[in-house]
Amino acid sequence: MSARRSTLPGGCQLVCRNRRARALLQAWLDAAQLPWPGRLRLDVTVVAELPPRSDAREVFSQPSVAIQAGPPQDTVHIEWSVAPARAIVHPTKPRAELLLTPAALEKFEIAERSFLLVTLLFVLRRLGWYHVHGAAVTDPAGQGWMLVGNSGTGKSTTTALLASLGWGVATDDISFLVERAGAIELIGFRSAVALRQGGLELLGRHGGLELARRRKQGFWPEELGGSATLRVQPRYLLFPQLGERTGAKPLAATRALTELVKWSMWILFEPLHSQEHLDLLGRLVAQTRCFEATLGPDLFLDPTLLPKAVDDSSLSSPR
Amino acid sequence: MTPRYHRHADLRLTALAGEGVVLHMKERRYFTVNETGLTILEALREPKSFEELVAAILAEYEVTREEAERTTREFLTRCSEAGLLEERA
Repeated sequence: MSARRSTLPGGCQLVCRNRRARALLQAWLDAAQLPWPGRLRLDVTVVAELPPRSDAREVFSQPSVAIQAGPPQDTVHIEWSVAPARAIVHPTKPRAELLLTPAALEKFEIAERSFLLVTLLFVLRRLGWYHVHGAAVTDPAGQGWMLVGNSGTGKSTTTALLASLGWGVATDDISFLVERAGAIELIGFRSAVALRQGGLELLGRHGGLELARRRKQGFWPEELGGSATLRVQPRYLLFPQLGERTGAKPLAATRALTELVKWSMWILFEPLHSQEHLDLLGRLVAQTRCFEATLGPDLFLDPTLLPKAVDDSSLSSPR
Repeated sequence: MTPRYHRHADLRLTALAGEGVVLHMKERRYFTVNETGLTILEALREPKSFEELVAAILAEYEVTREEAERTTREFLTRCSEAGLLEERA
């Protein structure tokens, strides 16, 4: 019996005999609405248990995934700790083999945001798409903004606030850095803007899509008064933190680049792809004005404070 | 034989606004380097001796030979300690 194949628009091919796994994966990939940059392939097998394996490379542990990458094999091994699942990403081609156990399928919603997403990030690196942990939005004048930083620094809440002013939203969290027509663009992995209770209260929002396992509520940009946008060409790059008053301070280019490296952690894993990734990050900084932004409660009384603060700071910007 | 300095194979470098950001893949660390450091690391795309690196600094900046030697020596020491460079005969 041959494996069932399913090709999504734009070229992501799923090969999987298990009907349930295939349906879950296809729904996840469809929902992301990514304009696939080329042909990539995921071979998925559902197994009762994972076979033993040996790999002498150093293990890098993240909250729910353990990763081995780089030489000598240059494959990427990803093991999920929440339930048994494994991915092996090809050294150079945009393809991966995934082994999922029934226990992993039962926790598919969690896998989407961790194991599967990390696997996809590594596959897409092979097609020149590089991940940055950040939000990508466009203002009503069409100018692109990127907010980069860790969870809890206000990216999603600010994204939701800006959406309520009619801004376009590509993503509140997962951006892919790509080169297009000589400029650096961001493509968002489409998912609902995920708000914690504190963000909901600041925004005065109720309802939304219950993201129970993340303890957040999700809102699509359209529900917030904004629009979904696919591509963002950033002109402003912000590194937010929470504070008492909203403001912005220009950030030197080299400092901005090291901050970007911090939030593009896979750059340090694969020597084959790291130079291209680093150069793209450098070009992103070169085409943007960079700021340390403080997001205060006053922003929710006057949402224009952030663009105003950036405009005011631009007058004294070093670039 | 005069020793020559080699950039570590795991080093990645990009220049920005006259400075540089360096990744050390093996150590999974990153650094910034100033303008003269960038000049030295860019010169080291090919292995170079200490004298050749001093000459690169003298060609780029209006400094005395003594200053160029001191700057080069200090930078090479820091890079070697960070595992960014190798010295080979």
